[in-house]
Amino acid sequence: MDEDIRRVAGTILGAPLTRRTVRELLYCGVGGLAGVAGFLITVVMLVLGLTISASVLGTVVGLLLLTLALRVSRRLGALHRRLARWLLGYQVEAPPKFQPGIGILARLDKRLRDRAAWRSVAYSLIKLPTSAVQLYAATAACIGLVDLSYPEVWLLFRHHNASQLNPLVAPTPLPFGGDIKIYSWPGTIPAALLGAVCVLIATWLARAINAGDRRLIRGLLGPSSMAERVSELERTRSLAVEDSAAALRRVERDLHDGAQMRLAALAMNLGMAREKLGDDDEQASRVSDNTATVRELLDAAHRNATDALADLRDLARGIHPPVLDSGLASALASLAASSAIPASVTAEIDPRPAPAIETIAYFCAAELMANATKHSYANQIKINIFTERSGLLRLEVTDDGIGGADAVRGSGLAGLTQRVSTVDGRIHVSSPPGGPTTVTVELPLRA
Amino acid sequence: MRVVIAEDAALLREGLTRLLQDRGHSVCAAVDDGDGLLAAVAEHKPDVAVVDIRMPPTHTDEGLRAALELRRRFPATGVLVFSQYVETSYSAQLLEGGAAGVGYLLKDRVANVAEFTAALERVASGGTALDPEVVSQLFRASRRRGGLSTLTPRERQVLALMAEGRSNAGIAAELVVSGGAVEKHVASIFAKLGLPPGESDNRRVLAVLRYLGG
Repeated sequence: MDEDIRRVAGTILGAPLTRRTVRELLYCGVGGLAGVAGFLITVVMLVLGLTISASVLGTVVGLLLLTLALRVSRRLGALHRRLARWLLGYQVEAPPKFQPGIGILARLDKRLRDRAAWRSVAYSLIKLPTSAVQLYAATAACIGLVDLSYPEVWLLFRHHNASQLNPLVAPTPLPFGGDIKIYSWPGTIPAALLGAVCVLIATWLARAINAGDRRLIRGLLGPSSMAERVSELERTRSLAVEDSAAALRRVERDLHDGAQMRLAALAMNLGMAREKLGDDDEQASRVSDNTATVRELLDAAHRNATDALADLRDLARGIHPPVLDSGLASALASLAASSAIPASVTAEIDPRPAPAIETIAYFCAAELMANATKHSYANQIKINIFTERSGLLRLEVTDDGIGGADAVRGSGLAGLTQRVSTVDGRIHVSSPPGGPTTVTVELPLRA
Repeated sequence: MRVVIAEDAALLREGLTRLLQDRGHSVCAAVDDGDGLLAAVAEHKPDVAVVDIRMPPTHTDEGLRAALELRRRFPATGVLVFSQYVETSYSAQLLEGGAAGVGYLLKDRVANVAEFTAALERVASGGTALDPEVVSQLFRASRRRGGLSTLTPRERQVLALMAEGRSNAGIAAELVVSGGAVEKHVASIFAKLGLPPGESDNRRVLAVLRYLGG
């Protein structure tokens, strides 16, 4: 019991001497001032905006002022967050960035409905009483420090002409009761004691009010739980897409190293065995029927193995074409080379997209080319792929065929649209009857 | 014929070694990566190197790059690259320095022992051996539709076999016709397509490939 009491007492009394206290008090001072200023700015702008927009003539101006108030409020929120991070070490993420609408009315509407901005306004308003307490704590701490210094000050500056000078005045943080007047050195002791008590109380007051401020910041200046959920979902979706692409690559590698390799070895052995038996028909008539049968069986086995190899090769290519590892440009060139309709590729891709995106782009191109080959009666296919400055990957497949492709009715295109939408990509189809047909796929650079 | 094999799958490596030794060729070394290949060729100076395209460490195109390096440093050694897939860009890179002593085959071809060894021997003696699959892709991708349509089906077959790098004798054996018939077809093809006649087999391959490439 004694141990605990002593430890608690030690913590309480020793608190003022820690670095944390200094930072918290600093936050009280700076944050408090910022809070008051923020409050004033916010209130003025809001009131102006509301009153002006209430009058018939000034509606537009008033609304503009309101939106300005909201924007400023967001910035103020950011300032408070930064102060908290810097001085209190309290990290709160910013709410999602503001997405402006297109068109004047839409922009106005979105600005006025910006929930994060209104929450910042709420924070600024509540910050006033909070700031008051914080400033009080900071001031009390300062006064306490001053009072604490009085014994030394007296000794340094007043020890010779004690009685002739005016009494030293020690301020107190109490709004009432006035100041202590000191006439002699022993009189500085109570002042010093008062100072110590002030510092102690200020420390703990600062801690308490900052804890409250932290909760306010978390609740009003951080991302709402909905926004947090969305960004969590985006992150996990990206992981899932990349994961599945990586899994497919592994499957292709395993197929190559495992089944395909064994089949190739099998086919080779069968070929060698077949050779050993020879295929001289004159000999066949001399040796037993068994050899002929064995020869036939070997031939059949050999054919089966070769066919299986060919099948596996096509399967593996449908899962993950190995040439994709060298980049989209080479992969599309290969696709063009093996196309029944002559196809040309122009590619300007920089920087290189994520592997999952490359896979999606490749299979889109493959499917689109297959569609063109099957339905379009085209003479020429052009594939164009490039990175736009806005950071999107754009794939265009154009054929000069009869047109009439439809994103809704054609099941192949519908499947592509689904696949592309898992990474927030888009497909546009331009296919007037008579052609030409251009299908454009837009993909982000990262899943 | 002295051969160096570079293949990272042990089963295939041993199978190939056995296949070649059975036919009386000598396998100087069997390695499993690009650096080993270059070292082995430098040491043994074989007639031909058989190289798998996908090898460690990245399993993408180490073999191809090692093959190109071999062509640069040891032009006397033929290089037969084989892979499970045909990628036309690879064959283009291999043929950049000329068609002599170059081969690109699908691993499937290994199943047919006679064809594989014939191709290997062609490459070892300075000829060319391109996989029929590579050639048919080239045909499909070629923009010379007009020129190619003037050929008879038989002539197209002969053209394809020429592009594979076969000699007249090889073409005759494959199509089961006489050597004279093949020569006639070849002359007719060259006349129709406007290619320079009377070239050696390697230069013939290059001429055909260049024609097909448009």
